[in-house]
Amino acid sequence: MDQDSVLAREAAAGDAAAFTALVRAHEAAVRRFLRRLAGEAADDLAQETFLRAWRMAGHYRGDGRYRAWLMRIAWTQFLGAHRAGGRRDAREAAAPQPERRRDPDAAIDLERALAGLGERERAAALLCFGEGCSHAEAAGIMELPLGTLKSIVARARAALVETLEA
Amino acid sequence: MNEDERIAALFASPERAPDEAFVARIGRAVRAEQRLAAARRTAWRRFTVECAASAAIVTAFDLVWRLAPAELDLTQLPAAPAAAAAVLVLALWFAVELRPAATGR
Repeated sequence: MDQDSVLAREAAAGDAAAFTALVRAHEAAVRRFLRRLAGEAADDLAQETFLRAWRMAGHYRGDGRYRAWLMRIAWTQFLGAHRAGGRRDAREAAAPQPERRRDPDAAIDLERALAGLGERERAAALLCFGEGCSHAEAAGIMELPLGTLKSIVARARAALVETLEA
Repeated sequence: MNEDERIAALFASPERAPDEAFVARIGRAVRAEQRLAAARRTAWRRFTVECAASAAIVTAFDLVWRLAPAELDLTQLPAAPAAAAAVLVLALWFAVELRPAATGR
């Protein structure tokens, strides 16, 4: 049993310190994913994600990475907030925030390329290319059949390559 | 470097130390949730106990009423004034405990 599973079990038993250790270990990845997905709303969504993870701590069964379980909650939070906000200009509302990177030109390119993707393509690309998730893991996070996820990743990949080469 | 590696390299972010301010914010929210859950449990426990106590009192009154002889004059009992005072106190307790504002404690 890995460290996260041990901490998750303690958190499920009501140990707030164990949960804080999980937050410390995973907040960067969750916030990075949400920032690139939801822009300025990322930190509020991240807070909601972690609070929901705390409330549902007993639901984590340890049959996958804890980070993937968190990402699934984050994606659900994003979709809920996005739907609650209506169909207002999605591209504008969810414009990804540039990350502090070593190469500013690359950050601008990536930002431009991500902004051209739909939310599912963007999330799939972020999970598979940015967070190192396998296709199966990303399909679980986004609650999609594996074949559908692979198609979305392929579309996202083609769009990213096209934008980056333009 | 193939296309997938090139894209993954673009997504790569430099490692950073945990954001302790954010971690503390979540910690405060979790503690607030714990306090709220504890208060909710206490309120439910109290509500259950008071419901049980009320049911017991009502049942006791009902039994006494059924067992009393039909010709019995309650005002002639030696403890009638004390019993009347006790019933008044009980009625006041009911009124205070069951008023809407009391449920928010």
